[in-house]
Amino acid sequence: MKTLGIDIGSLNIKAVVLGDDGILGTTIVPPGDEIEAGAHKAIEAALVEAGLSHNSLPVAATGTGAKFIPFIPQQKAITTCLARGIHYLFPSARMVIDMGAESTTVLKVNERGRIADWVNHDKCASGTGLFLQQMAKLMGITLEEMSSLSLQAHARADITNTCAVFAESEVISHVHRDPPTPKEDIVAGIYASIVSRTISLCKRVGITKDVAVTGGVALNDGLVNIMEQELGFKVLKPKSPQMVAALGAAIIAKETAEKGPK
Amino acid sequence: MTTIVHKSEVDLLIRTFRMMSRMNRARPEMRSSETLYYQMLAEYYSRIRNAREEGKLLAAHTVFFPTEMLYAMDIVPMHTEMTTWLTALFLREQAELLAKGAELGLAPEICSPHRGVAGIFGLNTIPHPDVILWSNLICDNTAKSGELMMELSRSPGFFLDNPFQNSPGEMRYLVDELKDMVHFLEEKSGKKMDWDKLAEMVVRDKQEIELYREISELRKAVPSPMSISGYLELLSADYMFPGQPEAIQYLTQLRDELKMMVKQGKGAVSSERFRLMTLFVPPMHLMSSLGRIFEEHGAVSVTEPLFTCWSEGELDPSRPLESVAMKSFLIPERRSMYGPLSEQALQDIIDSAQQYKIDGAIYWAFLGCRHTCATVKVIKEVLSEIDVPMLTIDCDIVDPTVNSEEEIRDKLTQFTEMLEEDR
Amino acid sequence: MGYLDMGYLDIIGLKVPTPDHFRAVNHAFPKTKEILELKRQGKMIFGWLCTYVPEEVVHAAGILPVRITGYSQEMELEDGNAYLYINNCSFSRSCLQMGLRGEYDYLDGIVAGSTCDGARRLFDLWVHYIKAPFHHILSVPRKYTERAHGLYYEQVTMFKQHLEQYLNIKITDEALLQSIEVYNESRALLKELYELRKLDKPPITGTDTMEVLNASFRMPKELFNHHLRQLLAELAISGRAYPSRARLMVTGSVMNNPQFIQSIEELGGLVVTDELCTSTRYWSDPVVLDGRSPLEAISRRYLSNFPCARMVPSDERFDRILQLAREYRVDGVISQIIRYCVPYAHDLPVITEKLKRANIPTLALDVEYGTSGSGQIRTRVQAFLEMLETRKR
Repeated sequence: MKTLGIDIGSLNIKAVVLGDDGILGTTIVPPGDEIEAGAHKAIEAALVEAGLSHNSLPVAATGTGAKFIPFIPQQKAITTCLARGIHYLFPSARMVIDMGAESTTVLKVNERGRIADWVNHDKCASGTGLFLQQMAKLMGITLEEMSSLSLQAHARADITNTCAVFAESEVISHVHRDPPTPKEDIVAGIYASIVSRTISLCKRVGITKDVAVTGGVALNDGLVNIMEQELGFKVLKPKSPQMVAALGAAIIAKETAEKGPK
Repeated sequence: MTTIVHKSEVDLLIRTFRMMSRMNRARPEMRSSETLYYQMLAEYYSRIRNAREEGKLLAAHTVFFPTEMLYAMDIVPMHTEMTTWLTALFLREQAELLAKGAELGLAPEICSPHRGVAGIFGLNTIPHPDVILWSNLICDNTAKSGELMMELSRSPGFFLDNPFQNSPGEMRYLVDELKDMVHFLEEKSGKKMDWDKLAEMVVRDKQEIELYREISELRKAVPSPMSISGYLELLSADYMFPGQPEAIQYLTQLRDELKMMVKQGKGAVSSERFRLMTLFVPPMHLMSSLGRIFEEHGAVSVTEPLFTCWSEGELDPSRPLESVAMKSFLIPERRSMYGPLSEQALQDIIDSAQQYKIDGAIYWAFLGCRHTCATVKVIKEVLSEIDVPMLTIDCDIVDPTVNSEEEIRDKLTQFTEMLEEDR
Repeated sequence: MGYLDMGYLDIIGLKVPTPDHFRAVNHAFPKTKEILELKRQGKMIFGWLCTYVPEEVVHAAGILPVRITGYSQEMELEDGNAYLYINNCSFSRSCLQMGLRGEYDYLDGIVAGSTCDGARRLFDLWVHYIKAPFHHILSVPRKYTERAHGLYYEQVTMFKQHLEQYLNIKITDEALLQSIEVYNESRALLKELYELRKLDKPPITGTDTMEVLNASFRMPKELFNHHLRQLLAELAISGRAYPSRARLMVTGSVMNNPQFIQSIEELGGLVVTDELCTSTRYWSDPVVLDGRSPLEAISRRYLSNFPCARMVPSDERFDRILQLAREYRVDGVISQIIRYCVPYAHDLPVITEKLKRANIPTLALDVEYGTSGSGQIRTRVQAFLEMLETRKR
């Protein structure tokens, strides 16, 4: 059976086509002005990649924007989908750290790929994808440059403030210091402060191994590297960490289809 | 300092409550207890409005204050936090109140109801209180707010020092503090304490606590009969009319309605699927939205161990002063928010989770309430030992910019999906 | 029972009695050589949380009392945040995190008072998660009335009984009197030190004073007194005299990071006094017997001592702040309030106004516990000092 999962995020729409032997196609498109149109575009592209011509696959949607695409009636919470997606990729994962554009969510997953608990930071911008973008802009580099720079750091600049607004002013003062703090150390400092806050969130539900990272922010190798140092062990990282929720949605579409109409 | 009484806000509140009460009466599907509730609110603020004309002393006081003492002295109480909530809730004036609080120099970390309290005093939108009464029950905010209120209103005040633990010496201390307060109020009002009247109120306090316990019992039924949107109403009865006929009438009516529903097998939501425990208080401005959201998800709040479960203990009308002191040790909030975090308090939460057959718990982590939030992790852990998941929602109970209906709906969807998967 | 009689000084060796010694103690704390050595010898060590805990009673029971403090730097408090939530003050979160990470694992007991919300909950969670073998919390009234003194005396008595029961000993009046003597001597010596700060050009900085004070609650008092006596003797002949752009007082929440004071003093301001529970409020009032039993005298001192912002009415504290400002001839006040420190945050508008009426400007800083006063804070202190200088001209 082939199914389709779609994750409508605030920065990107992700779609996954899932077959019996694995993932057949994936796409990421920006949502554009019209979420519904964007969703159609993403689905079509994923189908093309999977070598399918028309869309009659069972489908499920997730993500903050899912409620704006009523043409997909089956909708599931992002946490449920992340749990399913990660279980498919890494059955040993018991905890997922999902670092997305607007919030960070930590969830616990049981041995059946069911979510057992979760906690998120949504009242705080620091540590999110948007925050990282802002920091990169402030330092005049790209997100990719940021990631590779951090791997060359000799030290971590002190970024102690927990509030995004103040963290920004700390970064500015590092940039303008005489002599300026080396860029790589500033980046390492920013990553370290994000990691520390994220681990604090993990501790609220209790850290359980194996730990997997997902979401767009997990694409930063430098950040994941620091996270592993701070946790004291390796984390599981999917090849496409931002696709996991869409994958989970495709799995749920499959489960529902297999159960048959109620 | 001006002594002009600005009546407009209070008039507006009274008019709103009367209107709500009339609207409810006109709709047969509404519960009569709700009509009574709005009548109660209207009555409460009418007394505040008329205090001066009737030659009565108006006393502004902080939350969990033994207002039986005031009623027995024919003094009109004005609950400061409750007035802030209601102004915020019904007149949608949170923004102005909070802005005024900030202008007075109060840091954003001071809890929003208390920034709002300073706001209502600073804006002079409530009748001018003749005296300020405050106590350290329930937190540093209440302990610290009195002097600022005195400064802003230029009114004399009395601080009731409510001891931390329940030892015989501390009980004696509280009784003596209450006696001092009587002297203070007798001097300010020129009226004597009517001890017989206070004894009558203690009789009704006993009745009231008994009604609260009965209501809690009824909510154990499957399906459970009370909606989350009735939570604030339930609390208000004791906050505003402790030991007064109004509270007894309202609670009796509510109990009878719930009893009837239980008998008929009717629940608060049309299809009960998730029985939830509520910890702390949801944002006030979302109370009615919550009713809808819970209905959509088939969720019902069956118990609030931190707010609606009274401690064991009996009052003795032959010793009214001691009973009033005793009551302040029985109130549910004291156990969770003020007293030491005992293993017994945690055991009580486990017990009620089991007795009420809950599927999950929601902790409304009000960021202004520091000592309550300090229990989030401990309570989550004890609940998880009995396999009850707990969702924590960071919130503000007064400031509407912190949480939206959409956010709460999304979170409840996620939570109920999780509970569903567990089945 | 004194440490000096035990040949204690021989064990650890006499160090040079300058702030260097104190600095070394502070650097190693909580695991100082002295504490670990005493522990090895079988002495019990108790941690206390707030200035409303009567230290003499612990001391008289033959136990070494040390004050629980947090990290001496501003840092991410992962465990503190997870357990106390993000909205309890960073002092309580910092202390709890150190406790959770085993920094205080040698403690045989913990004693607190019901002083403020943060301290109460820190105690609750310490008991629940860290579990010192002995724990006790005193109910501390918020008033200064005779009745409040009565209640507090009863609480101190209950605490003493709890200790006696737990240790199976009797805490005698003689032992209490001896402890009072040691603690009062410490207070008198600190007063002498503070008197020097009243000079036009004091021989000691605020930074060094804070090192001394930190050490005062982290080592045996007898030993501390010995070192402080030597320091005072040394200061008398040192000829040191610190000039300044402005004489400052630091007020507000619990703070014990010398680096914070140093960052102010590097800019040319000299901190000559303070209203902190780790400094002036810790040592200011002696225990006065005045015909009372030793325990009653102790209890009276702790409740009527220079008050915390938790006490009602606040005027008592305000008056003493104004009095300090006069005695030490301060040009300006730096108020540092930790986020979520509600008692001090509530008082800020009122005390600022009172100081203004006394012609003393206040710089109000929102800080986190452990701040070193860098970055933004430095810029604001700099501007404040410039303003104070302009006023003097």
